[in-house]
Amino acid sequence: MKATDSLYRRLILWLLLPLLGLGALMLMQAYRSAHDAADRAFDRLLEAASLAIAEQVKWQDKQLWLDLPPAALEMLATDAEERVFYALYDNHGRFITGNADLPAVPGGADTLRFADTHWHGMTLRVGVRPARLDSWSQRERFEVRVAHTREGRDQLTWSLFTGSAGRIALMALLAIAVVLLAIRIALAPLTRLRRAIRHRDPRTLAPLDLPLPRELAELRETLNELLARMRRVRANQERFIGDASHQLRTPLAGLSARAELALRQPDPASWRSALETIQASSARTARLAVQLLSLTRLNNPEATPVTSMLDLVAVARNATRDAFAACHRAGIALELDAPDDAIPLTGIDWQLEEALNNLIDNARRYGARHITVRVQAAPPRLQVEDDGPGIPTERRRLMLRPFHRGAETGEGSGLGLAIVDSIARGHGARLTLDEGRHGPGLCVSMTFQGDRA
Amino acid sequence: MSLVTALLATVLLVLSPIEVALAQSRLDYPARAGAPGETLVINGALDTPLIAPLLEDFHHRNPDLALRYNNLTTLAIYRDFLDDDATPRPDVVLSSAMPWQYRLANDGHAQPLASEAARRWPAWARWRHELFAFTFEPVVIVYRRELAERFGAVTSHADLVDLLTGHRRALRGRVVTYDPATSGAGYTYAIEEARLSPRYWELVNALGGVDTVLAGTTRDMLEGLADGRYLIGYNLLGSYARDFVREHPELEIAVPDDYALVTQRLAFIPRDAPHPMAARRFLDYLLGEAGQRAISELTTLGAIHPALDGPGTANALRQRLGDALRPIRIGPGLLATLDRLKREALLTRWTREFQRGTIAADTRDETSP
Repeated sequence: MKATDSLYRRLILWLLLPLLGLGALMLMQAYRSAHDAADRAFDRLLEAASLAIAEQVKWQDKQLWLDLPPAALEMLATDAEERVFYALYDNHGRFITGNADLPAVPGGADTLRFADTHWHGMTLRVGVRPARLDSWSQRERFEVRVAHTREGRDQLTWSLFTGSAGRIALMALLAIAVVLLAIRIALAPLTRLRRAIRHRDPRTLAPLDLPLPRELAELRETLNELLARMRRVRANQERFIGDASHQLRTPLAGLSARAELALRQPDPASWRSALETIQASSARTARLAVQLLSLTRLNNPEATPVTSMLDLVAVARNATRDAFAACHRAGIALELDAPDDAIPLTGIDWQLEEALNNLIDNARRYGARHITVRVQAAPPRLQVEDDGPGIPTERRRLMLRPFHRGAETGEGSGLGLAIVDSIARGHGARLTLDEGRHGPGLCVSMTFQGDRA
Repeated sequence: MSLVTALLATVLLVLSPIEVALAQSRLDYPARAGAPGETLVINGALDTPLIAPLLEDFHHRNPDLALRYNNLTTLAIYRDFLDDDATPRPDVVLSSAMPWQYRLANDGHAQPLASEAARRWPAWARWRHELFAFTFEPVVIVYRRELAERFGAVTSHADLVDLLTGHRRALRGRVVTYDPATSGAGYTYAIEEARLSPRYWELVNALGGVDTVLAGTTRDMLEGLADGRYLIGYNLLGSYARDFVREHPELEIAVPDDYALVTQRLAFIPRDAPHPMAARRFLDYLLGEAGQRAISELTTLGAIHPALDGPGTANALRQRLGDALRPIRIGPGLLATLDRLKREALLTRWTREFQRGTIAADTRDETSP
């Protein structure tokens, strides 16, 4: 798109170009009709002159005889002083008299015919009148041909044409003025919209409210929808920040209180127990901080991590291996159910491992005894199923929100599923929460869209 | 002027002369020494004594041009022009045979002249800026003084008809006019007069009644009038008659005051003129005030230029005769004059009317003692 492109310019171009084309067509048409009108007017002269001559044709001395009336020839010359030619031909096309051997004009045998011809370097208008003698004894046919040059016709054509060209030019000027005015009026709401947007407080996300024509109203509505989405995003962000600060403040306050309490006691044994508590709590807080950071990073629309070809089976195997020790300590059975063949996929391996870790971790924390990590090929799918208490159907969507814990009693941060959801979205995968295959429990599936590799 | 060397070429009697030009002659004016050798060739039907003063004046003003004037009959001019082999090709064609000049221009043989003088030239005296009338010569009646003394002056066509019908016996064989059958000028006048008035046939009738002698040229008629063979001549070319009458006091000129035909000499530059620039200079001179003044003062041809009104100009003649002057219109009507059938038709009628007058006069002569 050129830098100078503008709606105004486009409108002017696409309205004025056709207008000019139309004007040119009208001029051509005006010239044609002026030409025809001049020819019609001057052809009457040929008609009258040929009639005046034909009336003087007689049969005398056994031949066609003509007492040429000079007025008939003078009729053919107007103020333009045309060159004048005439000729009389008999039944067999033989030249009887005249000042030029004029060419015949093909056409009907009984009608007056006109034609433009070139003759000795001149352009002539020829009129041919077929006629017959009307005496008692003679019914001889003959033909009167008259011709003159085109100066008078050209002058009349030109004066008729300049007349209508003037009118057309006037109309064109009016049309251009109207078009310019119309464009200006039609584009005025656009200017209003631009001014309204420019004069807004840059911090406000309030919807635009100004009357606009339908096409621009659609634009306004789209803009307002965008603004509404931005408002929702901002509200989410604000809630997240509030939640996050709350989540971090609570364990930090707990740490501080516990340390203070321990310091007041002289018993080193109680110090130890306090330190153990503090250590556990700070570990949880650190994990919370890590999760918050990773969620923030995942949700950052500006970040575009580098994707690569990966093997879904290898990802699941790594995640299972990492979590195995912790599960084993807690007495939880962790099982991997994966095909032998590799399942190729485009994605970010550490994110997918993180998602699996979170899911295994969640299952562990919420009281599962048996966790199965499952990998399926068609469509590519990662699944973590546990035999824990599960989540009621109506609350499953809510679980994807940050800081929304499944059970208040749990010790999770409430970020695990939110992180998984972000990762799934980043990979264009569908995240579904179902019941376990065998009675209660939760089965979380990440189904990737077909093989895009 | 000393430069003039008038060469008299072979004298040639022409079958159908339109004018008194009996002689085919030539005038040569060499260019001033050192001037580029361009020779302006003028073909004209104007007797050398009439045109010489004009050519001298022009040559005096344009000494760098060599001039050659070929005096031809109008017919020879027309035939030579259409004959591509005739050399040299003329740069200017002057002729009093208006229909033939018109026909040449109408057929596209003339080139337009776009000079100041040509643009100011009166519209009635030109055609398309191609064909220009540069003289104004009324057709007149010339009679001997003794006729006026006996029967009164003749000043109009009506007078003439009355005279011819009233004094048939006295005038028998003593009237002369052009023979339209052999003279182009006579034929042109007849056709124009027949158009002007139906009473022309009465006049032809009356002319027949006195056994009018039919002559071929104005000069023949003038000479016949001078030596007393004729008492009155009808339709003589005024420009020739004026000169002649000046030297013959026994003759008198009358320009009819009911209507008087005026013939004009037409000039054009041929499309294929070898020296068009020189030709334009000559025509500019002819149509300019200087040339026209020379025509009015040095010749009897009659100047047209609207700014001139002394003796020998169209303006002076107009003041005297007003609307009676009928210049032959330079227009397509002239083409009708050249039509073969038209000519036959007119001549047939002319002869019939003329003879009817003769027969009627004869029968009347027989019945009245």
